[in-house]
Amino acid sequence: MIYLDNAATTPMDPEIIASLQDCMRDQFANSGAVYGIGLDAKNKIDEATETITTALGIPSSHNLIFTSGGTESNNLFIKGLCSPDKKTAYSELEHPSITETLQSFREFGNETFSLLEFNKEGRLDLSCLPLLKQRRIRLLCLSHVNNELGTINDPVPLISKLKNDAPQTRLFLDGVQAIGKIKIDKSIWPGLAGYSLSAHKIHGPKGIGLLVYDSRLTLNPQLHGGKQQFGVRAGTLPVPLIMVFAKVIELATERQQETEKHLLKLHTHLVEGLRKLDFPVLINSSSDDFQCPSIVNFSIPPVEGEVMLHHLEKQEIYVGMGSACSAHSKEPSKILLGIGLTEEQARCSLRISFSRNNNIDEIDKFLQALKSAYQVLLSTFIKGTSDR
Amino acid sequence: MSDQRTILIRYDEIGLKGRNRKYFEKTLLKNIKRSLPKDKGIEYRVPRGRIMIDLSAAVADEYSDRLKRIPGISSYSIGITMDPDFDEMAALGVQWIEPLIQPGTEFKFCVKTRRSAKTFPQTSPEINFEVGSRIMSQLSPKGLVVNIKESQFTLEIEIGNSGTVVFHNREMGLCGLPVGSSGNVLCLLSGGIDSPVAAYMMACRGCRVHFVFFDNQPFLGRGGYDKVLKLSKIVNGYQGRAKLFVVPFQDIQVAIRDSCREENRVVLYRRMMYRIASEIATQYEMPGLVTGESLGQVASQTLENLAAVTCVTSMNIFRPLIAINKEGIIKHAKEIETYDVSIEPQPDCCSVFMPDSPVTRGKISILENDEERYPGEALKEEALRNMETINVDRL
Repeated sequence: MIYLDNAATTPMDPEIIASLQDCMRDQFANSGAVYGIGLDAKNKIDEATETITTALGIPSSHNLIFTSGGTESNNLFIKGLCSPDKKTAYSELEHPSITETLQSFREFGNETFSLLEFNKEGRLDLSCLPLLKQRRIRLLCLSHVNNELGTINDPVPLISKLKNDAPQTRLFLDGVQAIGKIKIDKSIWPGLAGYSLSAHKIHGPKGIGLLVYDSRLTLNPQLHGGKQQFGVRAGTLPVPLIMVFAKVIELATERQQETEKHLLKLHTHLVEGLRKLDFPVLINSSSDDFQCPSIVNFSIPPVEGEVMLHHLEKQEIYVGMGSACSAHSKEPSKILLGIGLTEEQARCSLRISFSRNNNIDEIDKFLQALKSAYQVLLSTFIKGTSDR
Repeated sequence: MSDQRTILIRYDEIGLKGRNRKYFEKTLLKNIKRSLPKDKGIEYRVPRGRIMIDLSAAVADEYSDRLKRIPGISSYSIGITMDPDFDEMAALGVQWIEPLIQPGTEFKFCVKTRRSAKTFPQTSPEINFEVGSRIMSQLSPKGLVVNIKESQFTLEIEIGNSGTVVFHNREMGLCGLPVGSSGNVLCLLSGGIDSPVAAYMMACRGCRVHFVFFDNQPFLGRGGYDKVLKLSKIVNGYQGRAKLFVVPFQDIQVAIRDSCREENRVVLYRRMMYRIASEIATQYEMPGLVTGESLGQVASQTLENLAAVTCVTSMNIFRPLIAINKEGIIKHAKEIETYDVSIEPQPDCCSVFMPDSPVTRGKISILENDEERYPGEALKEEALRNMETINVDRL
């Protein structure tokens, strides 16, 4: 099997599976209980929090809230801070857990300000920031790494320019695709109102995510029923998941440079391979330094991405098609249309996403399978041959 | 109260059958036995017009629930077999009725007797009177009154040659004919809402329905295949012993897509599906095809297009939904519990094979001309060779 859909999810690290099993057996107590084993569980959470803050360089000005994953973190922060009437902005190229959350404010007559026209290869063009001041935008929501394209919104210049051009606008970044793949500059935290993470994108278990947010902000809880986690997210904490989450973050950050180098090698090899194919391939990801090496998005018109995906599946090669959450939607990807692709180009796209587990040999096999399947499928997709 | 119960099963149209009645009864009994666990201590009796099951009170409710999914049963009741002793029957009635009476309010009841053992000395009205008056003598001071028309509680007594059963509840069954009594048919199953309903309706007409699915992999994912496994399993729950044939259809679709007139594609695909289904049905001795078509629902289901697919086979074609509107079909699908699976978002045909504007009145001569443009016979044989056969009971 060749698994090239790591932006959807990653296989769990065997070391983490073993740790999780141990933690599930040993740390079963409720971390809110006052007896010894409860306190032990609470201590484990404190240790995990410490591990995460150290690994990511998160300052004491920021709180950590464990959630069920990236989608919940995004919902909790955006709704908790801005619902129902605070003014917000986005580039419309974010994951649906951001775009649809913001669009849900429409029912209160609160329309999110779109910066779609200011995108350049899927990144926000910073020249638009003064508009946020004019519009009195309270929160700007962006992806750190775009989930379909892999393009990076670099927070360092963004934060600095935002401070200058629209100081009242806070910044929220979805970091789900960034962690472990690109360097997270520790200097960014003071400029970030919120940041979300998820364990299963970095070889951890599904069902655990994190929201890092500026503790001066008041978030309205979206789940009620307990005083856990600063009263912002009620519910018994999943101690074993938190313990291994800390471990995956630690491993991901320790290995980040090495991983990035490896991903870059794969990325370059794939893009070069795609360019050498004897049919036209449109690379939708960007080619500059602000491209996360874990993702390559490309189109192979007229062959539809979904059909190609299933032909590759027959060879046990698994690739992505747009955002995994909307893979069943018949509409072409909004992100790809948003960066200016035609409907056909968007429908004919595939997303290849690597992890540190992939190697060059797998890329070569993928390219070979893509080439063979394209040749088989091309005639089926050529229009205008049927009415004779 | 006794720890034994008797489930008294009434059946539907079998009651109307003439000399074949025994055959229908035997088939229904076989289906009932097959769907109940093979516990020791379950006894079956078949007095005229009834099937009775004697079993432990502990399992009576659970096992009787399974009868709700067996075509051919019109209703059933859980009762107690006892001696035809009026005092004992009345005592049981009191035991059941007394807790239902609210102090200070009137409670209406009646007794209904069916006496098939004509040797029994009293007539039905006399038995009603004997048992009813004994119950009244105890409970009328508490508010019990006799009211046949607006009865809140009906104590029923059946006195037959194989024993007397007293009961007070009636659960509805699916009615129709017992599965297997009409023979085998083959249903063209898609992942949609209609075809599972059509299959179920034919099962209720005594058919054992087998399924054929035309698979689009790898143009589509395995989602459609998985969905059909689930749907065939649900429908098979009403009958058992179904086969599911999965026919790889992508090469035929590619050939039609590449060689034939675009607007005719859908009808041409369907003509091939009918031909392949007919071959399978013939091979497995299933003298009929079943489809979920409903007149005018989509372009391929106009009178002309239905005629254009029907004429490729000499086999019986049953379309039980032909005159039912979509809402009615959805209602059925919800009742038989296929609806939630049918609406799972899995594409059932890859968009690359769909024409922009399909023909609504296909002309057979033109369709035949199209079919000369691709090697249909060879592709059909190839598809049949690569067909997968699944025993649905094992899913």
